[in-house]
Amino acid sequence: MKKFGLMSLVVAVFMVLGSWAIAADTIKVGCAFSLTGDYAGSGDNYFKGVEMAVEEVNAAGGLLGKQLEVVMFDNQDFAPEVVMQGADFLMDQKKVAVVVAGWAGAGADVRAYGKYDAPFFLDDGSQASVDVYKEDPEKYYNAYFMTPVAADQGSSVFNVLQKLPYDYPNKKVVLINTDDAWGGEIGAVMAKRFEEIGWEVALHEVVPYGTNEWGPILTKIRRIKPAVIHFEIAASQEPITFVRQFLKKPTNTIISLGWSITPLEVVATLGKKADGVMGDMPAGVPVPKAPNAEAQAWLDKYKKRYNHDLGVGSFVTYTSFMAWAEAAKAAGDAYDFKAVNKHLKSVPYKGLMGDITWGENNTLHPQPGAPMVHYQVQNGELVTLFTAPPVTPYKDNKFIKPQWIK
Amino acid sequence: MFVEIIDVIISGLLNGSVYALMAIGLALVYGVTKAFNFAYGSFYTMGGYFAWVFLVPLNLPGGYYTVFLTAIPFLFVVGFFLEKFLVAPLRKRSDWQMKAMMLTLGLALFLDIGYMAIFGPRLKSLPDIVEGTLDLGQLVFMKQDVVIFILSITGLLCFAWLLNNTRVGMAVKAVAQNPVGAQIVGIPKDRVFAATFAISTIMVGIGGILLSQKNFVNPQASTGIMIKAWVITAFGGMGSIRGSLYAALIIGMLEAFVGYYLGMIHIDIAVLTVLLITLAFRPQGLMGRE
Amino acid sequence: MKAKSMIKILALTYGLIGILPIFVSDSSIMMRILTMILIWSVVASCWDLIMGYAGIFSFGQVAFYVIGAYSSAILSVSWNVPPIIAVFMAGIITAIIGVLVGLPCLKLAGPYIALVTFAFQLALEPFLKGPLGKAIGSGGSRGIISVPPIEIFGYSFSSSELVPFFYLAFIMTLICSAIIVVILKSHWGTAFLALKDSEDFAASLGVSAFKYKLLVFGITSFITGLFGALYVHYVGILSTRMLSMEVFTVLLIMIVVGGIGQYPGVVLGAMVTVTMNELLRPMGIYRLLIMGGMVVVVVLLLPDGVTGLIRKFTAPKFRRKTGAGSLR
Repeated sequence: MKKFGLMSLVVAVFMVLGSWAIAADTIKVGCAFSLTGDYAGSGDNYFKGVEMAVEEVNAAGGLLGKQLEVVMFDNQDFAPEVVMQGADFLMDQKKVAVVVAGWAGAGADVRAYGKYDAPFFLDDGSQASVDVYKEDPEKYYNAYFMTPVAADQGSSVFNVLQKLPYDYPNKKVVLINTDDAWGGEIGAVMAKRFEEIGWEVALHEVVPYGTNEWGPILTKIRRIKPAVIHFEIAASQEPITFVRQFLKKPTNTIISLGWSITPLEVVATLGKKADGVMGDMPAGVPVPKAPNAEAQAWLDKYKKRYNHDLGVGSFVTYTSFMAWAEAAKAAGDAYDFKAVNKHLKSVPYKGLMGDITWGENNTLHPQPGAPMVHYQVQNGELVTLFTAPPVTPYKDNKFIKPQWIK
Repeated sequence: MFVEIIDVIISGLLNGSVYALMAIGLALVYGVTKAFNFAYGSFYTMGGYFAWVFLVPLNLPGGYYTVFLTAIPFLFVVGFFLEKFLVAPLRKRSDWQMKAMMLTLGLALFLDIGYMAIFGPRLKSLPDIVEGTLDLGQLVFMKQDVVIFILSITGLLCFAWLLNNTRVGMAVKAVAQNPVGAQIVGIPKDRVFAATFAISTIMVGIGGILLSQKNFVNPQASTGIMIKAWVITAFGGMGSIRGSLYAALIIGMLEAFVGYYLGMIHIDIAVLTVLLITLAFRPQGLMGRE
Repeated sequence: MKAKSMIKILALTYGLIGILPIFVSDSSIMMRILTMILIWSVVASCWDLIMGYAGIFSFGQVAFYVIGAYSSAILSVSWNVPPIIAVFMAGIITAIIGVLVGLPCLKLAGPYIALVTFAFQLALEPFLKGPLGKAIGSGGSRGIISVPPIEIFGYSFSSSELVPFFYLAFIMTLICSAIIVVILKSHWGTAFLALKDSEDFAASLGVSAFKYKLLVFGITSFITGLFGALYVHYVGILSTRMLSMEVFTVLLIMIVVGGIGQYPGVVLGAMVTVTMNELLRPMGIYRLLIMGGMVVVVVLLLPDGVTGLIRKFTAPKFRRKTGAGSLR
């Protein structure tokens, strides 16, 4: 009966699946990133932060005498059942002591991982996942939000734009954002803040991902001649093509790319052509000179290790992971989740740039130890103008009037 | 106001010319071989990566001249063997059209993920063919766009010439019109099928090189390109080359005007609506044969 | 394939899946995988029915699945319909939409149908994210974050109680599979095959292509919508991310692996595909590379998927029993 042969093969396969043995001499740490699909670029950056942290801990003799072992899970495009499987795979089957995730599923992740007790670090930035957390903060006590929600970031950008040593020629702003939750939230808060101070939102354009042809929008922009354009698309192709096509026939406008400045290709590709463009990174390291020697050493190490500039998300996953490692050390047992979580929440972790603490909604709000960094491109390089909050000028870096403004 | 409308029209024309170059290959393949090639978009990306490998890591002398001269035979071989080894064996089976669709869908997945595995998930940027802008008073063009437009039109003209004036082209047309008759008069049908695939691969691959130097080489680009080419060929009439040409220009214009008057977010819905309405009245597309 | 062997294979496959929870009920990931095998096997079966049997190149299966999910979620969240009723209403809504999409398609030829149905999926995302979607309660781009679980007599089947939900899905799967077998073996099934082999000839015998094709759109969308609804009450959260290409591709792989038009091959295909997908997951990006390569190889070398393979091994026996005259 060959038919049963096939069946028994299938059964055997299931058995193997169910019985992956747990090796005892390492501490397993989980990574749930997008390795395939549209968000694979971000997954790469998040992972690099964890990878550096793990290598450092292991080189220093491991955690509590054990080496760390990374277990990966491909979150793909964050379909809910995939996110749930990931939680069960890492937490239940692999028995990891911690999970670091990037963009992980706008709420589904909080629920899936919140069932367990091992700390779960995520970087959603969308209100939806914070709302899930708020449903039952006690149950989801192990979920740590590594960046603030989009609205906070949008507000910070607005504050910086108001503080620029520059006289706006008029009070018109153009907002461009994507049709996802993140972009929509930023667009909405910026529109609100600008209207509050009496500006006119002359154009609020929502665009789908994958837009490369900006002709129609730019035609409108050239008629409006706004003082500010804020552009928020969490990808790299769109901001590059936008800036290039804008520069074809520029208007006297400050361009703020928001988060879109952070994908590495953006500044690398545009180079000096982008001089004057603004942007920001939530929880980042100010560049080109870090605020202190420790952070500078880390930046140099990162650049040497990966041969490129700091990617968005690497610093925050590195810092969160190290904070966890210290909490595990203090608890004396990485699997004593109650103690690890308690330590994480109650004792500030001394990061590269100062203490970090998890605030309201278990979120790492921008703070001196992990500030919101506002950049301008100068000489083909990101230069930090301000850190926030509060909006503070960074070192002696000066805002330059963009070259296209006459 | 007048200048703005001219601006929008130009934007539509530029889009349309590129779409035409990309969609015509798909129309040709379907018209001649009756196989629908879902891996089509992946050859667009292949063209981009081919150019990147030559121009950036290898940095071969001759720049884009070398790239185009080597890409054409390369893409020809790829397309030819794709048909010969993957599509042709299916032709004798029942449901072969459906199986060809599925095979090419699998191939598309394989190629797209393959690019990502080899080249990583990040964008690759190609050097500009030309830099700078062309200033005509109120109207300003990127020289890049002008070159893309000219090369697309040249590509289309070459293709038309090839089809109407060479033995291969006439054989292709003969097979498309009447495969049995063509075989009776001694046209090697199988080789024509393979050649058709090869030509279409060249067209989309070259389109990939031209556009990637403007919009970058992106391992995720294939699906979007595939869908666009698919919509355009269906709109124009699958298998109708002239129909695809008109459809590409109409859709290019439609996108520009909808983007300008209604907003970019409505472009996709507008295009799909126009497609559905067209198909409701003309199931065979604008210029398709029944 | 004869009805008897069809039922035999189904009984064996689902029987096996049905008893597995006894051994793995303490592994939540295994339970999740088994549950997804059930859901995907039915959704893929419907797709096979429409493509493999009725010969309609419909690419709208994922869209119907998501419509079912959204309908049930919106009904139970915005209208407070009890989930168990919402699930069936979602099936009916999806069936109606399926027929509406089917209507214009029936005039079209192969790749056009594929495009129109796929365009339907493409248009669904901007619709659900846009003002119209928000007006009906789709939650826009943020989605619906709290969908209540199904409750029967005060007992709730949620994603935290995996074994009960598994058996709920299991019973639904058995019922829907039975419906599919009945369709295939009835007058309708014969009509589908006749239409596919030669539409003109079948029409001359009085088989109405229009009626049967519309019927198949309606029935498969109903079942697909039902399972989409079941899924959403299971995962409890919903956004347009469900419309990803990945879901589409994996479903397609199930059909290819199982054999197109070889029901119940597609059920085996679902089992093999989901299992492989999970086994390959540690390989990261190479998982999809292998899956893509596998489609190419299977289509080329195994025209009827694993069903063909099984038939090859068991061929002497089958031939004795059925002669050469299995329907295909």
